[in-house]
Amino acid sequence: MAEKLMGKNFTPQDVRAKVTGTGKYTEDFRVDGMCYVKMLNCPMPSANVTIVDTSEALAMDGVLGILTSDDVPPNPAPGFPILSNEPRQLGQPILAIAAETESIAAEALEKVKLTYEAQPFSLDPLQSLYPGGPDALTEGNFVKSRSESPVSHKWSARDFAVAGEENMPMGEPGMEWNVGDVDAAFTDAAYVIDESFVVASSTHQALEPRSTLSYWENGKCFIYGSSQSQSWMMPGLASMMQVPLSDIVYIAEFCGGGFGAKASPYPTMGIPAYMSKKINRPCMLRITRAEEYHIGGSRPGFQGQLKVGFDKAGKVTAIDCYIVQSNGPNNGSGDYSAAAGALALVYTPTNMRFRGMPVFTNKPYIISQRGPGQNQIACIMEPFMDRAAKQLGIDRIMIREINAPDHDVVFSNRKSTVTSSYLRDALIMGSEKFNWKEKIKLSGKRNGTKVIGIGVGQAYHSAGSNGFDGLVTIRPDGKLYIHSGVGNLGTYSYASASRIAAETLGCSWENTVIERGDSRRGLPWVLAQFGSNTTFTTTRTNFAAANAAKDKLKEIAAMDLGGTAEDYEVDNETVFLKSDPAKVMTFAQAATRAIELGGVYDGHEYPDDLHDVTKAAMAHVQGVGLVGVSKDKMPKEGSVPALATGYAMIEVDTETGKYEILEYTSTVDCGTVMHPQSLDQQIRGGGVMGMGMASTDRMVYDPQNGLCATVGLYQTKAPSILDVPSTMDVGAVDKPDPQSPAGVKGVGEPVMGCAAAAILSAIADATGTNFNRTPVDPDMIVNAMAGRPQSYKPLQVNI
Amino acid sequence: MQKKFSSDRFDPLSTVRDALSRRHFIKGVIAAGTVAGAAGLVTGCSDSSDSSGGAAGSVERLITVNVNGKARPVDVMPNETLAHTLRNKLGLTGTKIGCDRGSCGACTVMIDGVTNNSCSVLTHTLRGANVITVEGVGGANGELHPIQQAMIEELAPQCGFCTPGQVVSGVSLLQRNPNPTREEVRYALAGNLCRCGAYNNYVDAIVKAAGSA
Amino acid sequence: MKDMMPNFNLVQPSDVESAANILAEAGENGWAMAGGQDSLDWFKDRIKRPTTVVDLSGIEALTGIREMADGGVEIGAMTTLTDVENNAVIKEKFGLLASAEARVASPQIRNKGTLGGNISQDARCWYYRSGIDCYRAGGTTCYADTPEGMNREHCLFGASRCVAVSPSDTAIALTSLDASMVIQNSSGETVVAAADYFIGPAIDIENMTILKPGDILTAIRIPATWAGADFYFEKIADRNTWDFALVNIATAMKMNGNIIEDIRITCGAVECVPKRLNVVEDIVRGSERNEDTANLGAGAAARGAVPLNYNHFKIPLMENLVRKALRG
Repeated sequence: MAEKLMGKNFTPQDVRAKVTGTGKYTEDFRVDGMCYVKMLNCPMPSANVTIVDTSEALAMDGVLGILTSDDVPPNPAPGFPILSNEPRQLGQPILAIAAETESIAAEALEKVKLTYEAQPFSLDPLQSLYPGGPDALTEGNFVKSRSESPVSHKWSARDFAVAGEENMPMGEPGMEWNVGDVDAAFTDAAYVIDESFVVASSTHQALEPRSTLSYWENGKCFIYGSSQSQSWMMPGLASMMQVPLSDIVYIAEFCGGGFGAKASPYPTMGIPAYMSKKINRPCMLRITRAEEYHIGGSRPGFQGQLKVGFDKAGKVTAIDCYIVQSNGPNNGSGDYSAAAGALALVYTPTNMRFRGMPVFTNKPYIISQRGPGQNQIACIMEPFMDRAAKQLGIDRIMIREINAPDHDVVFSNRKSTVTSSYLRDALIMGSEKFNWKEKIKLSGKRNGTKVIGIGVGQAYHSAGSNGFDGLVTIRPDGKLYIHSGVGNLGTYSYASASRIAAETLGCSWENTVIERGDSRRGLPWVLAQFGSNTTFTTTRTNFAAANAAKDKLKEIAAMDLGGTAEDYEVDNETVFLKSDPAKVMTFAQAATRAIELGGVYDGHEYPDDLHDVTKAAMAHVQGVGLVGVSKDKMPKEGSVPALATGYAMIEVDTETGKYEILEYTSTVDCGTVMHPQSLDQQIRGGGVMGMGMASTDRMVYDPQNGLCATVGLYQTKAPSILDVPSTMDVGAVDKPDPQSPAGVKGVGEPVMGCAAAAILSAIADATGTNFNRTPVDPDMIVNAMAGRPQSYKPLQVNI
Repeated sequence: MQKKFSSDRFDPLSTVRDALSRRHFIKGVIAAGTVAGAAGLVTGCSDSSDSSGGAAGSVERLITVNVNGKARPVDVMPNETLAHTLRNKLGLTGTKIGCDRGSCGACTVMIDGVTNNSCSVLTHTLRGANVITVEGVGGANGELHPIQQAMIEELAPQCGFCTPGQVVSGVSLLQRNPNPTREEVRYALAGNLCRCGAYNNYVDAIVKAAGSA
Repeated sequence: MKDMMPNFNLVQPSDVESAANILAEAGENGWAMAGGQDSLDWFKDRIKRPTTVVDLSGIEALTGIREMADGGVEIGAMTTLTDVENNAVIKEKFGLLASAEARVASPQIRNKGTLGGNISQDARCWYYRSGIDCYRAGGTTCYADTPEGMNREHCLFGASRCVAVSPSDTAIALTSLDASMVIQNSSGETVVAAADYFIGPAIDIENMTILKPGDILTAIRIPATWAGADFYFEKIADRNTWDFALVNIATAMKMNGNIIEDIRITCGAVECVPKRLNVVEDIVRGSERNEDTANLGAGAAARGAVPLNYNHFKIPLMENLVRKALRG
């Protein structure tokens, strides 16, 4: 019987390197002849730049070369070029200088003479939508689809006038869809909330800045990067460097956090790579913390109006949501659309209208952050649910259970379905773990100036994909090698999702090796490590590859030992005749035979439906042993929902605006639990990040000159250990998803959103104030408790 | 008393009208940058480079740094931080630079047993002090420190970038307080930011290590 | 292009006189560096560019805590915040200072940062720190005090072109303890009261202390006056570690039974200098310490405040902190 690996704890192979400091992140590599590159970043939000004179800089001892936008491929708006003389955000790289040391490079940059012609800029989408308002790009402020050019999209002054101060002006949207009859449903509703809201932009703040090392060797471009993903990086890098896929070598063994911002190749990766090509030296581009805030991307903020109707029983009958999304000067992300999907799934409204309007701004370029869209809207919608519960006299957990989706849910305009949904189970489990029935009695309890608030939050993310490739090799050393195209973003999914291959092939974990982190190790094509998809997506690919290997083991055994492949079974690192287990071949023997046989057995021949990245990877594994390679062709229908719930008890000091999170519990539906320790870790870590999202994460811009106030960690204020509870209670429903061979789904994203929502729900509960805004800072609570007006306007952003 | 509150009308056009004056403002900013550069030239401090060395009266560049029990002679610039010396001159890349501003603690090392952000210490100010980095907290033969072992068992690190700093802060704590409470561990780690949010696990590991050490 | 310090000459004297002489010679191009936790940021930003940096950390006379004959203490300016916090005499007699130290930045910074450096650190106004030509940087504009300036962290009192606030947690404790600062330069030693050490923009817009080029803060003296008094310290910041105060408060009270016999109240982060609340002190002195007194004092705490667009929350926050302190 095969060893059961799924669902058990184990120690991923890279943990030891992390605790000893031997794990190599990009900046830790040293290459002979390596020089340093530093960038010149635009000091204003939008400018047309003329490089006047670089001679003094280039004449300096130790300066090796300069790279300007002339040296790199263009990427027309709203693409984000590697270097540009028309920067459209603060900190956008204009040029770079290479030198023997960083000190010299920094000095040389000061000697470059440029002129900046300041351009009108926009930091607030509503400003940009106002008649005559500034457009972030020369071409406009909106693009309908990625393939189109930007246009200038304005609303009418009447749209603004009708809305007034408190409500969202709602002009012509960029996207709209309808299900059912919302207007009729609102007329019939027992309770309707209709209010504007703001969710602030925030930055990812991964602890490792996105440094890149690059050099060229024998025509191949070597890139060492900080990325969440591995194989996903390959096509983008090849395209960025304008070389064939097979000429890119990408190394990313460790990544110091990404949270969405390092999922795909980013423009600054091209700077040392093109510089290296130009000056023929290995180039290291170290990114500083301040630079990371500018060029590291950010989560888009929302300004919006949310109208929700409930019937007497608490069922959500109608949702009408309008979201204006603050993009950077680039394509942005689909957060606003994903937010609509979350509303449609989590609250199952019978009638829904969604309108979305993404607008370019001259702020850091937008890239998905953990729970893109879904987490932002959870922060607004969950407190709405509480208000409805209170108004309708329904328990706050119960109103969520009433609206939770079942397995057969059909949601949104796309009539989407899900692979499984255990949100209700998570609510029941979580509220019991948290002891909601008793805790809720403490709601509003005062102790001097302090008051207790009880909160609950839910969040969702579509967390799984299909159709990617798996690759395993069994080698003459008798070991199973799982080739993982998955990046190492700190979730250990590269390892836990690999275990299904070992389990399928009856191979002990001790005899299993994971090949990863370097494209020369033969790494197959899989989706990026974003969107919590890896668990679902790559258990399928690894399962497919393991089965391909299993088939070949059986075929080889039948060839040598007689009978047909079907007569054989694979287990205990052997393939044997079912009717006579004495007729057996070890993995080592089979691997040796596979090499002798060649062809499909050792990877010289492979299915044509593999992705080009996998085909390029085959060159690295051909002839090393028995090769199992396959595309995941298992059926999949519907979205794979990761669902999470959080429960918080906080104590707010009404005099200081500060609160302490006394207790936090979170339970999730992630299918079957694959790796209990890493699941717990994800729930807790996402919880911490959510607590920051709800309270202190900041991204502040001065509207007069577009300067950024938050370029240091003490200014952006990610939660410290003293801002979060000392312990957190976590749990999982642990029921299998039918479309995963291991029953698993990812869950890393919504565990953040449910925490943020639970904290905001608790703040509203304690203070009796509907902030309709994320984050809620101490100053807002102080003002609210003192009965003073807030210092911001209702729809104001960047504060 | 209050100059402007939310009762003020939202007027996007005001910013549009200000576009011209804003443009003047920005030119001011850039001019200021130029002046700062020019001032640097006048005082001569931007003439220097890594090859220039200190002028008369300044520190000797060749010094001995005591790191992880070894005396290491090294050529150190006057403006060089300990993090730079460790990572780029002594090959000790376990010490990470997350912010270079003392705001994250990824570069935490012990100097004479006390935790410091090595990015915010000039190497020349060590004056013979003993530096312990994450590479030096374990046994002489590569044995893990109990905290490291416990962090593996508790699966404490996520991305791992802050981990060396967490380890060093933990080791320093146990040296002065072998049996800390959970609260004491939290306060000892208060200068070590973990964006993955693995705080609970780090505390679990250090409490566990304290029990077993 | 930031995070690479321009080069400078680093000088490491072992006595105060040498240090003072070197600094006197260097004049405007000199820089006295204590723990370096603020200095290095300025250098890395390439905004402050001294040619001669004098490292004070090798001067033994500048560290240590000495009990004085009158029952007070003298703390060497280069004593680390951690050493002050853990000192038995400070804990026993002047716990207010120990409480303040414990809330400064992070453990690592307290281990390296010094008491002298903490009270002498520069303004944290983000506009100023970004290197633009504001008043404090020698320019002719304040970017924070404008209709659209982002000034949540800025001042309620004492604005004079610049609206930056005192960022130090220990400065308010020392002010409430009637501390004085010992300053040495090439022409000798002077002792100034805390109230004179910290200066606002009306006096000198480019400096937050009276230290002039060539001056070295050598020690902080705390008289016995408030030894063992009833202390209250609270710091409200967005985060509970590594953050600057939105408002902080340090009070020292001498009680006679339940009567407030004498009192010092100082708030930080509301003015460019530690804000001594003399008016509140006068109101509550001689009163019973109870909720009524607390409310009376709180009501007067922020009188005269001139809030900016984003910092008016500091008015109720300041009032509430005074209320908390008086309530006990």
